[in-house]
Amino acid sequence: MVQLTTVLCKAYHGGHLTICLALSGCTNRPFYHIMAAHKCPRDGRFVEQLGSYDPMPNSHGEKLVALNLDRIQHWIGCGAHITKPVEELLGLSGFFPLHPIVITNAERLRWKQAQEVLLAAQKTDTEATETKEN
Amino acid sequence: MATHRVSLLLWNLHAGSRGAERVYFRARARPRPDYLFQPLPGVCGAGTPCRGLCSEAESGSPKIKKPTFMDEEVQSILIKMTGLDLLKIFKPAIRETKPPTYKLMTQAQLEEATRQAIEAAKVRLKMPPVLEERTPINDVLAEDKILEGTETVKYVFTDISYSIPHRERFIVVREPSGTLRKASWEERDRMIQIYFPKEGRRVLTPVIFREENLQTMYSQDRHVDVLNLCVAQFEPDSADYIKIHHQTYEDIDKYGKYDLLRSTRHFGGMAWYFVNKKKIDGLLIDQIQRDLVDDAASLVQLYHILHPDGQSAQEAKEQAAEGLQLIKVFAKTEAQKGAYIELTLQAYQEAFISSSAAS
Repeated sequence: MVQLTTVLCKAYHGGHLTICLALSGCTNRPFYHIMAAHKCPRDGRFVEQLGSYDPMPNSHGEKLVALNLDRIQHWIGCGAHITKPVEELLGLSGFFPLHPIVITNAERLRWKQAQEVLLAAQKTDTEATETKEN
Repeated sequence: MATHRVSLLLWNLHAGSRGAERVYFRARARPRPDYLFQPLPGVCGAGTPCRGLCSEAESGSPKIKKPTFMDEEVQSILIKMTGLDLLKIFKPAIRETKPPTYKLMTQAQLEEATRQAIEAAKVRLKMPPVLEERTPINDVLAEDKILEGTETVKYVFTDISYSIPHRERFIVVREPSGTLRKASWEERDRMIQIYFPKEGRRVLTPVIFREENLQTMYSQDRHVDVLNLCVAQFEPDSADYIKIHHQTYEDIDKYGKYDLLRSTRHFGGMAWYFVNKKKIDGLLIDQIQRDLVDDAASLVQLYHILHPDGQSAQEAKEQAAEGLQLIKVFAKTEAQKGAYIELTLQAYQEAFISSSAAS
């Protein structure tokens, strides 16, 4: 049985909360607040702040993420949707399972690195054969 | 995917177990205001037993229970020894000045004011807890080898729900290698200070706790300030706290500056440290020289409570010694500077006899 409730509600009402990142900070220095908001402008009206995410590493080489798990659980229980970046963060934290896009990106990176290694190996092979012929 | 489900389950299990204990800890959830040079009243919480913080160190045999710092008998002895010098406790602290107020009081009002001052002093003299060093956290929650190489920095996730006590808060670290582990104690303290700042505590360790700066403070006789800063900055069971306290006590013992800590809240901790290390000779001599023979006797009594299998404890029990006799028994049997103690006792007795003869 396919669950159509949220899809229908979304199409019909649009009346759900979203847990999203709101950007603030200065030029070349982003800082995100994790907000529960309706369909408002990114940095506009919100219902509640549920945490923060600092994408720039601090002096100890850490990116700090604060999550008010109590309230996040409450709003998820009230049927809030979550945006992809927040889902990825929650997956990294261990609260959610790892997001598939994170795994896909990791696999793509592996593939690219493997391709580079292969190309480098082929290049050295061709150079070796050229020097041998000459 | 199994590992991910397990990690989600872990979170749910922890959340479930938290709910039951949340009621008890609500009193301690809010950070208390405290000032740098002022002692914070009720670290252990007046009335709430120090659950989880006090180490109930049980020795091997079930019959003999090793006395802890928080036992009523031990606490009563230490409080008596600390003394109650109101002028020293309410010494003017460095703060914004305002003109002094003068009050005209009757004798009864003065006595009432003194009584209230004594109550306030007793609150100020509440001793900070003496705990064992905390064991390092080495808990790995998940190993995701897939994520290796995607990130160059680690992520630190803190749970900022307001109604959880700081000891139970979830602070996890996702390393660049993909491992999800619980944060170490130092990382925990730093994160909790960032998101729930406590007054008087800094995020990064202040420079004053370096070796050379500590030595400067000791040479200026500012041991009390060092200990107050230490209590404000570190957790009672952290390695730094214990190390700095031990270092301060050793320095006091070396130069015999016991009077610096008398009538402060650190005297009990110092006495406890010396009794555990069996180094009470210097303190005994200082007490006898200042005519505090009752305190000296109670110190030896505390020593016997803690080391009941020692020679002096056995002899004292045989002779049923009291007061000066108790100190003499201790000086004869287990003291390192026994001769010194006997000399000072002799000097005290002569002075006592001559003063009683003169009066």
